[in-house]
Amino acid sequence: MPQFFLNKRLIVLLVSIIILVALIGFSLRERSQPSWPEQFVKDTAGWAQSLVSKPAQYVVGFFENLQDLQNTYQENKQLKTRVVKLAQLEAKVQQLQKDNKDLRGVLGEKKTLSDLKPLPATVIGRNPDRWNEIIIIDKGKINGIKQNMAVMTATGLIGKVKSVNQFSSTVQLLSAMDPKNRISAYVQGAANAYGLVEGYDSDKKLLLVKRIPYDTKLKKGQTVITSGLGGVFPSGLLIGKIVDVKPDQYGLNQTAYVKPGANFYDIQNVIVIQRLMTQADVSSLNNGKEEDL
Amino acid sequence: MRKLILPLLFFFLFVLESLFIQFLPAGLYDSKKILVPHFLIASILFLTIFGSEKNGIIYGLIFGLLFDVVNVEIIGIYLLLYPLVVYVVAKIMKILQANIFIASIVSLLGVSLVEIGAFEMYTIIHITSMDFMTFLKMRLVPTLLLNAGFIIIAVYPLKRLFEKYASLRME
Repeated sequence: MPQFFLNKRLIVLLVSIIILVALIGFSLRERSQPSWPEQFVKDTAGWAQSLVSKPAQYVVGFFENLQDLQNTYQENKQLKTRVVKLAQLEAKVQQLQKDNKDLRGVLGEKKTLSDLKPLPATVIGRNPDRWNEIIIIDKGKINGIKQNMAVMTATGLIGKVKSVNQFSSTVQLLSAMDPKNRISAYVQGAANAYGLVEGYDSDKKLLLVKRIPYDTKLKKGQTVITSGLGGVFPSGLLIGKIVDVKPDQYGLNQTAYVKPGANFYDIQNVIVIQRLMTQADVSSLNNGKEEDL
Repeated sequence: MRKLILPLLFFFLFVLESLFIQFLPAGLYDSKKILVPHFLIASILFLTIFGSEKNGIIYGLIFGLLFDVVNVEIIGIYLLLYPLVVYVVAKIMKILQANIFIASIVSLLGVSLVEIGAFEMYTIIHITSMDFMTFLKMRLVPTLLLNAGFIIIAVYPLKRLFEKYASLRME
């Protein structure tokens, strides 16, 4: 009989390998939405996670507040000097905004690419095996979240909504290595400086903005924002500041190394950004092969 | 109520892993080292060693699937790795005796198998392009240190719990 058992074990092994490969293939393919059993499991787990995670956030927040108290005096001094400048800036911004609105009225163009609606959300979990950089937030389809929306913290863009469940959704961070994760970006203060955020240097902790035309003059410290031309994100979301510029492999384009404005490691509250301008139908743009955001 | 203790414990560890990553002090986290908590599989391995192998494999399957669906979004990675490592550890424990010291070392070995297995699988499906030496320095060594810490703290209480659980099932 041992021969028989050996064969049985072999067959079980083979069948499970086939099922495994099928499952991995199933979950890697382009999906607009996870299947309903997955959504159910995720929502249930998300609910249980938020039961633990939200009280934990209060506790951590309390200790962080204590730490903040220590440097209050120094910070207060610095902030006071900045407040003075801020008042001037605010007056200027208001004037410019009014100008902009009037001029738009003259042109008859009311909508802009930068129109957006923010939806605040709380992070309830994060993928512990840090290969796929994924966080889970506590807002889902019933709160109006859709796939591919931009996600920010107060200091800059952190990623996009990867999949949406009824009561929770998952966000893929910019630091995840995903060739499909491309965001159309624009360097402020330089002419013709459009590029794509493609990839992340995990060693230097810098984002790579590729495909900037070779004749564009870029300087360190220039700000990179989303351009809104990808058709999904609104324009004007802060991505980061340029640290280094290098020509690409063939010298046809430049690659800018950008220090992200947001910290990808200490994320507790995020803002999901809904673009108000009509979205381009991604599948009609590129036959569903790739998506540029 | 007794039946619920183990699933609740493992689910708590499942949530704890994600919380741990979320609230780890930024200074520790932002540095070149990547710490990955594997508290769940370490505890399942203790269940296998001190309790029963069958239970270990079942919990490995269930929580591997849960981990894949909730955290990874690619079904099949931990669904394979958790039961496989439990099986390997059970086979190793057939030759060794189950005292605290050996159990700790074997379960640390299991954790490193999970980590290396995940690295290989992610390399195959092009989620990562890290080379093996960088992986060793950046991820495996810090991860093993972290989990060794957890194992040292948790091994004795978990041993008590799982042995009690096993003897309850015997009756």
